[in-house]
Formats: sequence, C-alpha cells, structure tokens
Amino acid sequence: MKGYRKYFLNKMLWFVVTLVAAFILNFILPRLMPGDPVAAIVSRLAQGMSNSTGVQAIYEQYTELFGTNKPMLEQFFIYMKNVVRGDFGFSFSQYPRPVSEVIKASIWWTIALQFPAIIVGWIIGNSLGALAAYLKGGFDKVLMPVSIFVSNLPAFGMAVILLVIFAVNLKWFPTSGGYGFDLIPNMSWKFLWSVIVHYQLPFWSIVAITIGGQAIGMRSMAIYELNADYVKYSRFMGIKDRKIIGYVFRNAMLPQVTGLALSIGTMVGGALVAEIIFSYPGLGTTLLSGVMGQDYPLISAATLIITAMVLIANFLIEILYGFIDPRIKAAQSD
Amino acid sequence: MKRVSFVLSVLVALSMLLAACATPATEAPAATEAAATEAPAATEAPAATEAAAADPNSLPRNETLYFNGQQWGPVVGWNPYSNSNNNALAIAQQDSARVTMFETPYAYNMLDGKQYPLLADGDYVWNDARTEITFKINAAAKWSDGTPVTADDVAYTWATHVKYSTPTGAANIEYIENIEAVDAQTVVVKAKLNADGAAVNPLLVSAYLSTNYVIQKAWTETLEERVAGDATALLADTAEDVVYSGPYHKYFADDTKVVFVRDDNYWGQDASMFGALPAPKYLAHTIFKDNAAGFTALKAGEVDVSQQFNSNIQELWLNENLPISTYLPEAPYGIGASLPTAFFNLTSNGLDQVAVRKAIAMAVDYDTIISNAMTNQSATFTQVPRSLMNPTPGEQAMYDKAAVADLQWAGKDYEGAMALLDEAGVVDTDGDGWREFNGEKLSYVATCPNGWSDWQAAIEVVAAAGKEIGIEITTNYPEWSVYQTVVTKSDAPLPAGYDIFMMWSDGAGPTQPWGRIRKLLSSEFIGMPSNWNGNWGQYSNPDADALIQAIPGETDPAKLNEYYTELVNLYLTEVPSFTLMYRPQSFHAVNESVWTGFPHEGDGTNPPVPPLDMTDGWGVAGLYNLTLVNP
Amino acid sequence: MKHTIQQIFQSGKFVFGFSIFATILLIVIIYPLVITDAPLAIIGQGTFFPPGIYVNVYDSMDSTPYILNLDDAVAKRIAGKLGDQERLDIKDWLVAAGIPENEIDTSNTEQLLEQWVNNYDPQKKVAGMTFARQRYYQRLDASLDGLLSIEGVTVAQKSLETGLLEEIDAVGQSDYVNISEVTNKRVLLLGTDNFGRDMLTELVSATATSLKIGFVAGIIATLIGLTLGLLGGYIGGTVDDVIMFVTNLFIVIPSFVLLILISYSIGQEQRGPITVAAVIGFTSWVWTAKAVRSQVVSLRNRDHVNLSKLSGHSIVHIIISDILPYIASYVVMALILQISSGILAEAGLSILGLGPKTTDVPTLGLMMNWAMIYQAHILGRWWAYLPVLITIALITFSMNLMNTGLDQVFNPALRD
Repeated sequence: MKGYRKYFLNKMLWFVVTLVAAFILNFILPRLMPGDPVAAIVSRLAQGMSNSTGVQAIYEQYTELFGTNKPMLEQFFIYMKNVVRGDFGFSFSQYPRPVSEVIKASIWWTIALQFPAIIVGWIIGNSLGALAAYLKGGFDKVLMPVSIFVSNLPAFGMAVILLVIFAVNLKWFPTSGGYGFDLIPNMSWKFLWSVIVHYQLPFWSIVAITIGGQAIGMRSMAIYELNADYVKYSRFMGIKDRKIIGYVFRNAMLPQVTGLALSIGTMVGGALVAEIIFSYPGLGTTLLSGVMGQDYPLISAATLIITAMVLIANFLIEILYGFIDPRIKAAQSD
Repeated sequence: MKRVSFVLSVLVALSMLLAACATPATEAPAATEAAATEAPAATEAPAATEAAAADPNSLPRNETLYFNGQQWGPVVGWNPYSNSNNNALAIAQQDSARVTMFETPYAYNMLDGKQYPLLADGDYVWNDARTEITFKINAAAKWSDGTPVTADDVAYTWATHVKYSTPTGAANIEYIENIEAVDAQTVVVKAKLNADGAAVNPLLVSAYLSTNYVIQKAWTETLEERVAGDATALLADTAEDVVYSGPYHKYFADDTKVVFVRDDNYWGQDASMFGALPAPKYLAHTIFKDNAAGFTALKAGEVDVSQQFNSNIQELWLNENLPISTYLPEAPYGIGASLPTAFFNLTSNGLDQVAVRKAIAMAVDYDTIISNAMTNQSATFTQVPRSLMNPTPGEQAMYDKAAVADLQWAGKDYEGAMALLDEAGVVDTDGDGWREFNGEKLSYVATCPNGWSDWQAAIEVVAAAGKEIGIEITTNYPEWSVYQTVVTKSDAPLPAGYDIFMMWSDGAGPTQPWGRIRKLLSSEFIGMPSNWNGNWGQYSNPDADALIQAIPGETDPAKLNEYYTELVNLYLTEVPSFTLMYRPQSFHAVNESVWTGFPHEGDGTNPPVPPLDMTDGWGVAGLYNLTLVNP
Repeated sequence: MKHTIQQIFQSGKFVFGFSIFATILLIVIIYPLVITDAPLAIIGQGTFFPPGIYVNVYDSMDSTPYILNLDDAVAKRIAGKLGDQERLDIKDWLVAAGIPENEIDTSNTEQLLEQWVNNYDPQKKVAGMTFARQRYYQRLDASLDGLLSIEGVTVAQKSLETGLLEEIDAVGQSDYVNISEVTNKRVLLLGTDNFGRDMLTELVSATATSLKIGFVAGIIATLIGLTLGLLGGYIGGTVDDVIMFVTNLFIVIPSFVLLILISYSIGQEQRGPITVAAVIGFTSWVWTAKAVRSQVVSLRNRDHVNLSKLSGHSIVHIIISDILPYIASYVVMALILQISSGILAEAGLSILGLGPKTTDVPTLGLMMNWAMIYQAHILGRWWAYLPVLITIALITFSMNLMNTGLDQVFNPALRD
C-alpha cells in the first residue's frame, strides 16, 4: 500500500489546488463580461418612469445592495464568506429571489433527466459496442455506420427531428413542458404518469446520441483487447471464452468508466439543447438566461456546482483506478 | 475477477439506486409547492360552482383560460408597489394597466381613448381652474378581506409611493402635489402648480387614474411594519399576503407555470359594475422557453390567448383550418398602437444634415420590413401615412393629414433620395462608390439589441437601403444589457457604433399622442445620465419644446389640432428619427377550441372591448363575454 | 508514405466518407462561380417561399398565349376551390340554416352553389359556431364568387391621359403560356428563408463559412492539444503536473459555459467568423491533449527513444523526429474530429444567438437559428431547416467515416 499512499497524496494535492483555482475562476469569469447588470435591473424597474432623479436613486440603491461598486478583491472575500455559509446571494435577473432557490427549483429536473439518460445510454451503448466487437460480421457492419451517423447528428438536430416527427406530426408525445399543462405538481399517479410521458422525448434525444458515441468507443477498445496476446494465448490454452471475456471487458471498460464519470460530472449543465427545444424545466436554460442577464451570482453558483461535481467525480475515479488497475500504480512510480 | 465483478456490481447497483432516487426527485418541486396547494385546496371546498368531483391538482379544461407570451421566466413576487416582480398576469402599471388582481380607479380603453370607471363611480371631474380632479369610489368596491375600498386607500397609496420613493412615486412626484380623501368615498387629486398657478401637466395627472393601482391601506401598514421603514426592502418584499380587489388571485406558481383562481366574492359582480363574474374560473400561464414552444401549444389548443409575435399566423386558419383568429380578419390582423422608431445619432458625421437623414429614411424599403419582419402584422404606410400618431382612429383624427401630405415619402425611393443628396452637395468625390461629407466617407452602423428578431430583420433592411444610395451602412447587434446601457446614457454624445439605432415609442394611452411626441422630440431628457424616456438621439428644437409644453394645458380641440399638425410637420421635415413599422399594443391571437366570444372587430360590444388579451385596461371586460364552445 | 496513402484509399469507409466530403467541397467551390448572386440578398417580399419555379405573372401576359383544350381543366379548377371538405361544410351550414337535409346533394355543384348563394348570410349567427368558423364561411363565400363562370378575365390599365381604366388585354380560361418563353422566372430549389433570401445560394455560402470556421477551430485546437500533450507526456514531472492541472481546469469548467461567456464578452462587434473559430479552438483542445499525452507516455520508454537520449540529442529533436512520426496518424485523426466538432460547436453557439454576426456571412448554425426563431419547424417549412441539418450531418458523418477508415488503416486490428 506504500505506493498507494504517494499516489493518493499526489491526487489529493492536485484536487485541492484545482478546486481553489476553479473557485477563483468561477468568481472572476462572469464578472469579466462587459455590460452593467445593475443597469439591466434598473431598466425593468424604471419602465414608465418619466424623471431621472428617481431612476438614478434606484440605480444607486441596487449598486449598493449588490456590491458591484466595490473593488473586485473585496467582492471576492464577501463572496467566499457567504458561500461557506451556503448563501449564494440574490439573483440579479430574478431579484429578489435568492440564487439557492432559483437553482433548487430547477436542478432536480436536470438531474432527473440527465442522470438516467447518461447511465442508460452508457449501458446500452457499451453493450452494443462490446457485442459488435465480439460478434463481428453482419451485426458489426450495420452497427458501425449507424452509430457514427446518429452520434454525429447535432444534439439540437436530434431534438428537433424527434419533436417534429413524434410530437407535432404523429402527436404521440406532448410537445413541451415537464408535466401536463393542466396539472399542478402533487404525489398522485396521474401527475407521475404525466411526468413520465413528458420525459420521453427529451430523454431519448439524449440517450440516442449517447448510445452512438459509447458504442463506437467501446467497440474500438474491445477490439484492441480481443486482439491482445493474452487472449490468443488463453484461447490456445483451451480456457473457455466466457472466462476470457470477463478479463477482456474489464480492461476495455476502464476508459469508458472515466468517460462516464466525466459525463456525470458535467451533466448539470449539459441538457441545455433538450431543455430549449422541449421547453423542459431545468438548470440549463436558467443558466443561459443568467448569462444573458449577466447574473453573476447565478452563474458563479451554477458553475461552482458543476465544477465541484466534475472534480469530485474525477477524483473518485482516479482513486478507483488506483485500486482497479495495477498498471496505474506502477506507472506512477515511473 | 471476483474483485472486478464486485466493483462492477457496486457500480451498477449504485447507478440503479441513484436512478431510482432520481425519478422520485421530481417530487422535490412538488414538495416545495405542497404548502401552496394546501391553502388553495381549502378555499376550493366552499366553491360549489364546479361540476362533478373537482381534482384540486388538475385544472378543468373548460374552466381554465390559458395564456402565452406574457410570462417569460418564473414569478418573483406579488408586490404591487414594485415594478420588477416579473408577474405578468397580475402586475403591470402602464397606460392600459393589468387589472386582473389589482385595480385602478379607471380603466383606459385604447379603442375609443376614454377612461371608464373601474373602482371609481362615474367620471372624474376637473375643477374650473383645471388644477384638481375629483372622483368618487364605487360604494360596492371591496377588498379580498371583505372591507370596502375607500378614498383613504387611494390617498395612502400615494403617500406610500412618495414616502418610499417607489418608481411610481418618483415618476409622478413632479406632477401631483397630493391626493386627499375628502370623505370615505371622495378623492381629490391636486396637481402640482407652476409659477402661473396652472397645473404643470394635467394630462399626466389624469393618466395616473388609469395607470396606478389602489392598494389597501391596512395591508400597506402591515408591510411597512414588516420592513421597518426600509425602502429597498419594501420594494423587494414578495408580498405573499397581499390584499387585492380584483377578480383573480394566486393559486399556484412555480418554475413551469402560474395559475390564478377567481374569487367568487369579487365585488365587480355588483350591478353597478359588470353584473356577473368573469367566465373562466382559472387563468393559467405555462412558462415557455421560447416563442416556438408557445406557438406549438397554441396550435395544439393548449393555449387560448396568445400574446406572442406569431409570424405568419394567418397560415393557421387559412392552410391548417385551425379555429384560431386575430382581432382583424385580414392584414394587419391587430390594432397598431406603437411606433418602433429608428433614431439618428445627430452628432455622427453627416447625420446632422437633414438631407442625409431624409435620404436614408426615403431609401428604406418599408414594404419589405412589414412583410418580412412583421409578416404583415402591421399597417403599411400607404394605408396609414407617416406621422407621430399611431394608426388608431382616435389619434389619426388629431392632426390635419392634408396639410402634411406633400412631406410624405414612399419607401424604396432611391431616385428621390439620391436627388436629395446630390442637391445638398453630398456626393462621391473620390470615386469609391460612397458619398462623402466634410471630406469623410459616410459610413454608419445600424443597430438594435441581439435576439429581438423582428427588429433585427428590420435593421437588415435599413442597412440594405444604404448601399443603394451610396451610403455605407453595416449592422451590429449587441446584447440587450450592453445596448441599453449605452443608449440610455444621455449626458454625453453616443459612442461610435450607434449611428442609427432602434428603440420603441409609446403605445396607446390617455396622454397620447402627446406622451409619444414628448419622448421623441423633447430636449428635456438631454443630460440625464440614465434616460429611459426617449429622444436618445439627443435632438433639440426649441419650437418643438414650446409646443410640447403648451399642449397639456390646452383644451380647445381646434388649437390642439393645430399644435399637433405643426409637430408632425416639424417631424417630417427634420427627420430626427423615422418610424419603421406599426406594432400592436399587445399581440392578440385566440384559439376557439374551448372558449368562444373573444373580442373581434364588429363584435358589437359597447363600449368596444380592445384586443388586449383580456387582461389590460378595458380589455378585462372581455373575460365576461366568454362562453364555452361545448357547454 | 506512398504505401500508406495507397492503403488509405483502399479502405472502403475512408473512400466513402472522402467522396461525400469532396462532393460537398466541390459544390461549395463551383456553385458561387456559376451562380454569382450575393448569398445574403433579400429577394422575397414575404417569408418562407416554398421551393419551386417562380414565373413572373406580368411577363406571362406579354408572352404568346396558346389555347389548349383540356378535358379536366374546368373540373380541376372547381375542385381546387370546392373540394370535398368544402362541400360538406356548405351542407352543414345549409342544414343549420334550415334547409332540409334530403334536398342537399353535395355532388351536384350547380344546385349546391345555387342553394348557397340564395341562403348564405354572413351576419347570421348559427348556434354553437365559433367566430373562427364564421370567418371561414365568409372566406369560402368570397372564394366561390363566380366559380361556375366560363368567361375569361379582362386586364385593364389606368390610362396616363384620362386616368380611367382602359382594357388592354383579355385572358381566356383556356390560355396557356410556355414557361420557357416567359422573360422573367426564377428557380428556387429550396425556396426562401424568413428574410426572403434564396435558401440554396445561402446554404452553399453558409457551408463554406462553417467549413472555414471548422478548419480554423480544428487546427488551433489540434495545435494546442498536440503541443501540450507532447510536452507534458515526454518531459513528465512538474511540467506534466502543471499541464495536467491546466487541462483539468478546462475540463472542470464546462466548455459550453466558457464558450458562452467568452462569446458574450467579445460582443457582436468583434464576432467575425474567424474570431468565433479561434474561441472554439481555444476551448476544445482538452481531449486531444489528453489523448496525445497518454500516447506519448507509452512511447517515451521505447528503445529508439532511449537510443536518441543516449546519443545526446536535444529534447526538441527527440520529440520531433522520434515521437511525432509515431503519433502522426493519431494527430491526423484527432484533427478530423476536432474539425467536425468545431463545426458543431459553432452551430450550437449560433442557435443560442452567440455566433458570428448575422449580416456579414451566413453560417449553418445561424440559418438554423433564424429558422427556429421564425418557427419554421412548427409551421412545416421543412426547406428552411431540414437541408441545413442534413448538410451538418453529412459533413460530420463523412469526416467521421474518414476518421474510422484511417483508424482501420493505422490499426490493422480494427480492420474487418
């Protein structure tokens, strides 16, 4: 375990350093955008006002409140203090809603959409890819080009096509929303069923593309492995294929698991296209309108969450790798 | 192997567990709203008007009126003192104020220009010196908690606006001296007087009566106590406990929809007002992410009233035979009320010359703008000649068309524009194909905010016009937050890149067309660091200013006609800005698959119900005429 | 080298992908030479003209009229205005107006029309009829006016002297013109978009721009990824750790957020296509860097590299001559993937409204964006968005096929 300790400490160190750097970047980047967010808020408030002193007063009020007139460094420390307490401040674009409420309202929809979609896509995609590598022949010849084509359709293309075919023309699925337009959220079967029905199109638009990408990747990795020396040797030795397969796929799976971890990490921001096309509630569009409205607190908070999730996923995977793959440990001591 | 299978099975189990947790996670939004649904569920029990077993968690289709195009993004609050609640169906204090939850003393009707009594009883009366308005409050008017609406509420509302410098207070403090309650039913509004003892601006004083809500004194006092005198907190308060007088109030609100429910004790069912309750029990608005989603819902019959700009909406009934219609059966489909205008930056090289400005205005192809950008949802300039007035008959009658007829120009008039430029000596001296002025090539940037598609399409046409007459015009579309910051800074000349820029002008209201003219031509806004009113090109003309000053105090219609005609004359001669198209006050398209009886041209209502999505000004009367298609 | 190229062109997948890509390139290069119209010229007054051949009506009147007596011309003309659905609707209205049902025969056109003309009253309020329906009947009535007449129409022009209308021409119901004789016509294979621009010309121009953006973005991303991967992988140690740290930062801050932020900050003014390409390139090099680095790590312990090290060659020399050739194939594949993802990234940005300026050049993403804003996909205007989607898919598909083909050549194990 001695080698592991050095490995872990190394990983831990970089995890912390990256976290700090990312945190600082998360704060700075939105504030580098040009334009004055307070002016945007004032414009909404001042519509219909006919005199200037009132508008000026409001402008000053809000600048004071949001602290945008203070130097950047001071703003950073205030921000850090608040984040530690869990207070992300007020959202500029949806003032006076606090950022935590804005995010809480939409993040569950995004996670509920993305997480199963990624997992399902990953499992199906990898299975298909592995099968194609193992079976070869006809199945492989069909699967490859289809996967390439589907995985290369841009995400909005897939979403628009699904929308037009299944929702607008065939009317099998609803065209928009997270649940029935005439329902109020509650714990009844009717509501849950409505949620599931509305869930289908956005879900499949993400899964279809994920499957394509995963299948190709897994197929390549599996083929590499299947042609490795140890496989040929084992076959000559008479070891049953089933036993060999287990080892083969364990090795082939490794890069895919990294990919999965990263996908999960970035899933919070990733459903943007599906949300826009299907009018599905979620964090993606909240974030986009935050960017358009220069809502620093919202952007910082959302990207912080994404950053944290990716870092944690990354870190966990690297630790897991250390246990699964002895080569990693060996390479580290190189 | 064992270890791998162990790890793998852990991973798989973990993912299944998380997936299983994820789906019920959709209950989280339900959980946060459970509190909201408890309260209305209680108020639903006594209401016996619905048939069969009422499911408190689904809205009966034939009792709900669905909207789109008003609410983009979640509702932030219910505070009538604030302007920033993003509460589209309830709070909008404007010329035709939104009176579904809160009410104004009078409701403006943009079709005939009159202010009809809402909370008030009978018309308001000016005193002889035109310095005070008196009106009575309808005795039947009540708040949602049962107490009557009194003159005291009106007075206290004004006092609160002033005390806490709310946007309303700041906007009107220079025109209204005070609002007093003479007795329980009578209100006197005192205008601010100028040095001569006449009201500074009687027009704006009378407009206050149909623009601003009356808010209950008792609730205001509760609010004041809660915020302990802090003005910012007063405006930021979400006011979930607000007391209202209107027919609808909050039923449910989350990130995906807002629902209002009717108060069956609404005072307006009294014979002195509407005599009945509004037909729909629920008003619901699903929050769509963009126009396309809302449009799809309209087509599918999931939306009854649409306030979006739906391009080519006539296709829906011409080609697809859907029961969708607009106020007018043919182009322009709606009543134009506002004039999106292209302003010139008068400090740019060459734009201080009338010839250059007028030439550009003459060269623009307005027909293409109207047919491509607005898909014919605007009157053409042949139908309604260019002026400072909107296309409504009321405003069109206020100036003498014949007197300015020869100042009109047709669009796409390349010869005329080039002749004008040649005459003025603005020619191409160095042979590069572009005209010069003062030795510098005429090169301008036409701009409007990014993402406002019909405006962007219009600006493209403006830019294309320049090429035809030898003036280089390119386009640029900054983000709205940047655009507004630059354009509204009127205490310095506009920076480069804003030579021809597009902004809105006022729609229909009791102070129009004076309000619009003031915001287009008055020099009083020059020098303001945050100018949200108008004249962003910083045009200054003392004659115009004098006329603008004189109009509010004038009552003789003949003299007013003279003043307005003179102003139009000035506008068409000097061309400090020019109208690009006509735009309706609100878009209004309806789907008759569930409800019918919507306002339309020639529907015989008296007073005529304006097409304002049945929520604004006198348009709210439309809610009382709705019937079900399949009762 | 020559042998490798021979092998590449023997690979079925590569050839297929390459031919698609080459066709697109050829079209993009040759089309503007043949058809010289400006791609952004607004030629239509109105939105989304359907594909077809547009013949100038005014000129067709000047053309020689030919008289053709076709049997079904009259029936077709009537059926166009009075189809089965319209007949049923008329019957519904008449029944609601009180005419007994057995007196109405929808197949007898003259009798039906006579009953209609005699009984229709636009002001009549039929119970349960929505307002939209009322207006429908008004439109139907207007369109049926003069349906059965066999007379032609008269064309009149306002005389310049008297200001009154003077007859200048008559058009009979059997007059036909030969399209090739009409002076002014325009073929719009893909109709027009919401601005009234010729879709096909615009599409070709947009493809060219998108390809350019993809190339620039791909090259920039590959260069950055290659350099960082090489340096980190070979030199190792602290340099490697620092490079991995920077790479991780870029992974951790979601690229699309970064892209949006940077695009937004640059502002519309500066957002020319090349600038957008550069921005995309600078945010998408991460995977190339990681992949190159892992390849280099496995390469650096090979014998020939150790030999070079012993020989005392400089690091730069070793990297260029010993390591680079071995990963060249990998880099080419990465370049292809970066180009295709660059094109997708630009399309994605434009859909959000953060792409290049609208008026300079069209790009595929911008065309999609405007089509969506004007709701083409909901109104069924397939020509406004479907060709764009197919083009994007074809470009990326062909590039990926080429990539797979190359993969198979360089890794014989993957050959089928």
